[in-house]
Amino acid sequence: MDARLRRVNKEIADCKNDKTSNIRIELIDESPFHLKGSFPGPDGTPYEGGHFEVDIVIPESYPFQPVKMKFITKVYHPNISSASGAICLDILKDAWSPVLTLKSTLISLQSLLCSPEPNDPQDAEVAKHYSTSKSSFEDTAIYWTQIYAGGPGPKEKKGKGLSRSDVRDEVAIAGLEKAHVDQFEALGFQRSKVIDVLRRLNYRGANVAQITDDRVVEELLK
Amino acid sequence: MSSDYEFSDDDGDYYDDEDMVDGTQEEESEDDMDMDAFGEDFKVVPKGKHKAYEVEYDSLSQAAVEKLMKQDVDHICGIFGVDVSTANLLLRYMKWNKERLIEKYMDNPTTMLVAAGVVVPEASSQPAPAPIRTHSSTSSSTTRRPTRATSKLLALASGSKSAKSPSVSPVSPPSSFYIPKSLKPKVEEPFVCPICFDDDTSIQTLALDCEHTFCFGCWTAYAGSKIRDEGEHSMRCMAEGCALVAPDHFIRSILIPEPGAPVGDTSQEAENKKTWDRFQELLVRQFVACNNNLKFCPYPSCTNTVSCPSAASKASLAIVVPTVSCGARGLGPQATSQSQTEGGLGLPGKEHMFCFGCPIESDHRPVVCGVARMWLKKCRDDSETANWIKSNTKECSHCQSTIEKNGGCNHMTCKKCKHEFCWVCMGPWSEHGTAWYSCNRYDEKTGVDARDAQSKSRASLERYLHYYNRWANHEQSAKLSLDLYAKTEKKMEDMQITSALTWIEVQFMKKAVEEVDKCRMTLKWTYAMAYYLAKGNQKDLFEDNQRDLEKAVEDLSELLESPIEAENIPTLRQQVTNKTVYVQKRNEIVLEDTANGFVEGRWRWNVTVEGFDDPEFAD
Repeated sequence: MDARLRRVNKEIADCKNDKTSNIRIELIDESPFHLKGSFPGPDGTPYEGGHFEVDIVIPESYPFQPVKMKFITKVYHPNISSASGAICLDILKDAWSPVLTLKSTLISLQSLLCSPEPNDPQDAEVAKHYSTSKSSFEDTAIYWTQIYAGGPGPKEKKGKGLSRSDVRDEVAIAGLEKAHVDQFEALGFQRSKVIDVLRRLNYRGANVAQITDDRVVEELLK
Repeated sequence: MSSDYEFSDDDGDYYDDEDMVDGTQEEESEDDMDMDAFGEDFKVVPKGKHKAYEVEYDSLSQAAVEKLMKQDVDHICGIFGVDVSTANLLLRYMKWNKERLIEKYMDNPTTMLVAAGVVVPEASSQPAPAPIRTHSSTSSSTTRRPTRATSKLLALASGSKSAKSPSVSPVSPPSSFYIPKSLKPKVEEPFVCPICFDDDTSIQTLALDCEHTFCFGCWTAYAGSKIRDEGEHSMRCMAEGCALVAPDHFIRSILIPEPGAPVGDTSQEAENKKTWDRFQELLVRQFVACNNNLKFCPYPSCTNTVSCPSAASKASLAIVVPTVSCGARGLGPQATSQSQTEGGLGLPGKEHMFCFGCPIESDHRPVVCGVARMWLKKCRDDSETANWIKSNTKECSHCQSTIEKNGGCNHMTCKKCKHEFCWVCMGPWSEHGTAWYSCNRYDEKTGVDARDAQSKSRASLERYLHYYNRWANHEQSAKLSLDLYAKTEKKMEDMQITSALTWIEVQFMKKAVEEVDKCRMTLKWTYAMAYYLAKGNQKDLFEDNQRDLEKAVEDLSELLESPIEAENIPTLRQQVTNKTVYVQKRNEIVLEDTANGFVEGRWRWNVTVEGFDDPEFAD
């Protein structure tokens, strides 16, 4: 049997049997070489309570070459691209070792969420935010966790109402362009609905060109 | 047969002519002229006297470079009293910088050995093999698998160090086989390879001194992936965070198993052999890359190296143009087979000429690397096309089509959108009212400025195009040299048939073609040089030399193209020979004078060139 297939099958099975780690690996389609991993956000971090999904592609020469991983769930973190979910982690590159497994790599990702490394950023904007104002960074990270990863939302300790600049912030925090939101709002849709749909469609960056206006309107009419 | 007579007559002429030419020129180029065509195959490196435009260099085969490496390794072995593989790993780790290695090793041998991945760090001084990880340090504890046997590793680390040296030292990689320690079957517990999860009791296992054991197949696959896919010459232990580097004999033992080992399929064996060869090549490449005096031949599938100490420093590149040849000819084993049809003459047998100082894979004499690079960048950037468009065209203010005005009045009508506008002020024509054909709406001052700017940009464009066209022309001609070679060869055959000249006697044609090709290369780059030369006497002299060479080359080219008839062969031969010598002489002059100019610091540029003083804008 193909060594790679045997190894991947065993890794998937091991993960299934391990009930303690909270790490899950599932197939995306029939191929065992394209998987979806997921884990809960670590406690005591802005990611607490969230459920994070990771796209896993197993290369031809696995396990001698590192797996390709990127976040499916949007994460607000200095070492994770807020646009593409690309991850900057040494074990996914030159520090990879063939003894590392999918599970151990996912655990490493989980611990990456605990300990951001703003000096070696993947997302320069987020890293800047992190270094200049940690509390503001955490607010956004909590918000993103709530919106994208199903987290509990901002803790009540702040005591602030959600009124102040929430309308504007909602757009910014969701990572959308105000112009885009305005564009569809002008068509007569409710602002909150527009934000919701655009966020769901991931209407940002290079994606904008791929999603037609018709498609957005279709979603809005649902 | 009239040709008999003519042949002998011609023969006499030919040598008379040679003598005559010899009398009028300096002796140095004489032997180049005639004998080289026959002796060139044997002459690999120009030895002895060398001209001002030549640099001294040596061409080395892969084996010769390996010998150099071995010298360094032996030197280190002698000083440190370590075995060959240790010395190798140390040198590779220190990028073959012997001085620094000796200094650091003398300072603290253990640290050095650990850093180079020769030995496992001792448990007491270095707790656990420091994982080279940038973040997620917490995860290393959580991800540790039971198979890693951390405690065992630490316990063994101190013991294995003392036991290690004797086990490795007597091995000389190519001749004897390394017998890995843990090849002996393990009895204590059933082994499961932590990589492929194979638990077959019969599998062979291997480990480095760190005792991280994996199965034979995984090691082989790992080596293949590292060496073939990544081009990595240093192979760390597969365990996470373990920094031990596999020594050469270990790699050999996993790629080329000893005779007694279970035989895999033969295709796999051939692949592994290739991987091993590739590994050797990577080692040589690393050595060459680390040594400023050496450069790898850039020609495809050529494995030779050139050593040129006189061009090793950056500063020297402002003085010399280090054109070198690796000594090999042709396009390598794979490439030649398809171009074999071109015959033994011409490009397939061309020397591997390249510049030692820069990535340009051809002879860019007489111009120095810095200027050549600037010129190529300029030509590649295509910024000049934009420049042309800017100086000759305007955009329709309505549909943005680019419009070139090639005559007529200022009342423009865009062909595409039918927008009518004024060429001078670009405003819509309807606003011009009665001021037909003379635009007075344009601010006078800005009008003058705009015209000035446009004519200036046009002048610089014309200047560039002047040099570029000539440069490109010679480049094009050089590209066509393959055709010319083929044509010439045909002519040489014809001559042998029609005139009873022997093979050796028609070689003057080949020689002439080669010379034309060479001179066109020189000419090509003189235009790049002239473009950047500051105005003045020096430039005038340079361009005089350039003109003389160009004239001579064009004359010779024309002769080569002329039709061959039996009766005019003797005259043609005489003329071609004469011209070839003359052209060669002119080429020498251009190259020599330019090279001397660099040494004397005579050339001044109209732009800032790396390694030169800033241009003087005074003149």
